[in-house]
Amino acid sequence: MTTNDCSCTDYADSRRSFLRNALAVTGGAVATVAFGETFRQTAYGATDGNVLVVLSLRGGADGLSIVVPHGDPDYYPARPRIAVPKASLLVRDDLFGLHPGLKPLEAMWTANKMTAIHATGLPQPNRSHFSAVEEIEDADLGSAVRTGWINRLIGLDADKGPLEAVTVGSGLLPTSMYGPEPTLATDRTENIQLFGAQDDAAQVQRRKALTQLWEDAEGPLGLGARSSLATTATLGPALAQRYVPANGATYPDSDLGLALKDTARLVKARVGVEVVTLDYGSWDMHSGLGTLDSTGPGSMQGMVSNMGQALAAFFTDLGVVGDRVTLVTLTEFGRRVQENGATGLDHGWGNATLLMGSGVKGGRYYGRWPGLGGANVDVDVAVTTDYRSILSEILASRFGTSSSAVFPNFQPQALGIMA
Amino acid sequence: MQKGLRMSPKLASPDGTSVNISRRGVIAGAAAASAAVALPVAWADSASAGTPYLPPVRSYTQTPVPAAAIRQMANRFAYGYTPALGEEMTTAGGPRAWFDRQLRPDEISDTATGAFASWYPTIGRTAPEHFSIAEMRNGYGYEVWTNHGRWSMMRRMYSQRQLLEVMTEFWCNHLHVYGGADLTWLWREGYDALIRKHALGRFDEMLQDATVHESMLVYLDADLSRVVRRVTQSGSTVVTEKINENLGRELLELHTVGRAAGYTETEVRDSAYILTGWTIDRFNTWRLSYVPDSHYTGAVKVLGFTAANSSRDGRAVLVDYLQYLAHHPATAQRIARKLAVRFVSDTPSDDLVNHLADVFRDSGTDIKATLTALIEHPEFNAAGGKKVRTPTEDVAATFRVLGARMSKPNSNGDAANSIFYQCKSVGQVPFGWERPDGFPDNGQAWSSAARLMGSYRVHNSTAGHWYPSTGITYRSHASWLPQPQLRFDLFVDHLCRTLHGRRATRLVLGAACLVIEATPGDMITQDHRVIKYRLPRLIGLLLDTQQHMTK
Repeated sequence: MTTNDCSCTDYADSRRSFLRNALAVTGGAVATVAFGETFRQTAYGATDGNVLVVLSLRGGADGLSIVVPHGDPDYYPARPRIAVPKASLLVRDDLFGLHPGLKPLEAMWTANKMTAIHATGLPQPNRSHFSAVEEIEDADLGSAVRTGWINRLIGLDADKGPLEAVTVGSGLLPTSMYGPEPTLATDRTENIQLFGAQDDAAQVQRRKALTQLWEDAEGPLGLGARSSLATTATLGPALAQRYVPANGATYPDSDLGLALKDTARLVKARVGVEVVTLDYGSWDMHSGLGTLDSTGPGSMQGMVSNMGQALAAFFTDLGVVGDRVTLVTLTEFGRRVQENGATGLDHGWGNATLLMGSGVKGGRYYGRWPGLGGANVDVDVAVTTDYRSILSEILASRFGTSSSAVFPNFQPQALGIMA
Repeated sequence: MQKGLRMSPKLASPDGTSVNISRRGVIAGAAAASAAVALPVAWADSASAGTPYLPPVRSYTQTPVPAAAIRQMANRFAYGYTPALGEEMTTAGGPRAWFDRQLRPDEISDTATGAFASWYPTIGRTAPEHFSIAEMRNGYGYEVWTNHGRWSMMRRMYSQRQLLEVMTEFWCNHLHVYGGADLTWLWREGYDALIRKHALGRFDEMLQDATVHESMLVYLDADLSRVVRRVTQSGSTVVTEKINENLGRELLELHTVGRAAGYTETEVRDSAYILTGWTIDRFNTWRLSYVPDSHYTGAVKVLGFTAANSSRDGRAVLVDYLQYLAHHPATAQRIARKLAVRFVSDTPSDDLVNHLADVFRDSGTDIKATLTALIEHPEFNAAGGKKVRTPTEDVAATFRVLGARMSKPNSNGDAANSIFYQCKSVGQVPFGWERPDGFPDNGQAWSSAARLMGSYRVHNSTAGHWYPSTGITYRSHASWLPQPQLRFDLFVDHLCRTLHGRRATRLVLGAACLVIEATPGDMITQDHRVIKYRLPRLIGLLLDTQQHMTK
């Protein structure tokens, strides 16, 4: 995010004035949770409502390595060193197959609870990480008012509950959460507390004192301080107990594993989680993307395997609660078709989207395949499905939300990916 | 953009690092209208129900309140006001005279800070030395990074050359290299030295050096970006492009002109072409050299810059190109805005930004001249308190204002080492931002509830002398009481003057009464429970205020 760019300052100003005018709007609270490199934001809504989990693959994940177009004649020639071998692919059809690192999710696919949509992304190419992320997450392209689509989504909610957000440590607030709804951040649930008091009586006095100090404080610090007071009051006790994953779920010992475990815990705690976003990355593999033999944590193989294990554990842990939960992946852009000089991939355009969980008509691939078109170095995967069409269909199916309220000025295309 | 710690599992951080950004909105003026209500007589009745307890304040005039210009200079061009720094400025002839002296850091004795380098065993090693150790030791890269972060924090807190430290941080963040990025740590110290050398010099010279420094080249994959020339049997040369656009793009988008300048994707490609040739002998000597055969030849054009670029030694073209970018008006605008946002407010006026951009360009990208123009602009001194301290600035200011001194560390828990974990706990490890755009620098970014809770933890654990508790000498609790007996309201005013450089307000005094169950008229002595048991809670709370968390 180019926060110091001239253009961004204008945006900050317009946003600030927007917020001043939007004070009357309150809604579900939003929480941000960060686990090392994995960041999570949570929006709270109705206690037993449906839940959308948005897994953002930061840095621009290579869709051609995750959902491999083995049947496209240009795929293997374009990637002599880093292509994923056809024989290793999972759930193959004539054109596509999944990266073998997703093996733990194969059962969900065959149970028709998981799908992949190819050639998805922004309607126009944008190869800047920072502005592409903002475009994806704001999702009201061309508008001067900057609020994220998730903030717009929870703003629609009739439930105007109090601040009930989890916040610990640190968290990256994505553009999707920007807007008038309050937001929070955390990295470890046990850190949800007002440190500084040695006993309960002192804690009472400390809360009074901090409340006095920050109750009327202007500016962003005041908002953050009030959020911390509200969060510790309402959510702290519930999260103080030890959490044991259910159904024998074993999360990988990684940032993503921890973040998903905490997400499962929040969903099951019925505190009203509605949208959770997690950032997982970086996927910005300009060099050394690796092969299936490269098992380092930052290689494609390492990243996809970790993702497969963590997501499988998440849905196992949720068990029947998973009937309320749908998960979708997003990333700022795809990468070039042809590998570069450093066995990596430069920034590209079209990508693949993974979708799983409740309401998904899975077990097959979706999307109109544009072909890789000759595989010279500057060729991108063309986008044939605007990512907003995918989100629109999910939101309509799971939240009964009309697309126009969340993605203004956008006509979604019907995909048939959701029941 | 670069992945963290990729490819070398040995270097993986045991606990990862995350950074806190919450660009949540400012709700300006949200509740400013609820002041001036009837005062309750005692703390017990108030604050829980939203009625603030606002006892009248009294002035402890024996402890001076610095002039606003001193406080402003100390909070913006040093790592936070302390009474000692206030005196230093007064002795120097005022904040402006102090600033002018700080512009010549070589003339300021700083021997104590120099010794910090010997506190960390990884400091002073060459890239090959680092690598040979890393081959034998898991997590060594992380050690190098953490030690570099610790060393940086020590200098920020305790250096006499405060302006140099502030500007080194600023430029390190502008030409950012992520501290945990794969292999860049091998040269990190040298990169820091390079930035430090130019931090008060000229931007064009800094850009020239930084762009081709090993850390930057490796971070943004530029040493791998090249062409390969092969001579065929018939004697003709076949050129294969192995171009990586990462540095070529970020040089434009982040380091110089910015996207608003309107360059095209073709020009990004040309930018990457111009950079080809600089190569590092990876996993061997680690030496940087220029390899003409790896340089792309052929005409290039980026914005108004054109070159035939016909020689395989493209170094002169690169120098011209970087010079063009450094002096471009769009670069001046971006640097000017960044300086204004950093040192004045999150929303500097166009007048200020344009003025700084003019000075920057007219002076040939002279940093001293630009900074001088900044402090001379009326907006500078009018902006006191308008910036949110970043979490690490807060950590630094906390140790400084508490008067804590650190000693050479012997274990991870010792203060000069644990400082890194404290930074981590507030969500901002030095150089711990993965992406090449550097940490954000605005109040929204650093105001998440998590940041508040993390900062409360640091304030209160240091105020209580609980963490860190070793490798550090704190002021005794008793020493905070300036005379044998003192009314509580006067004591709080003394503490506010010392910690905030400001008088106590009714709001703060009321909160101070609440937090330790005291009344304004209580007579405080060394035997009073406020000094004997509750001072950590009181000082902790005074650090949990806007007065401490803004600058």
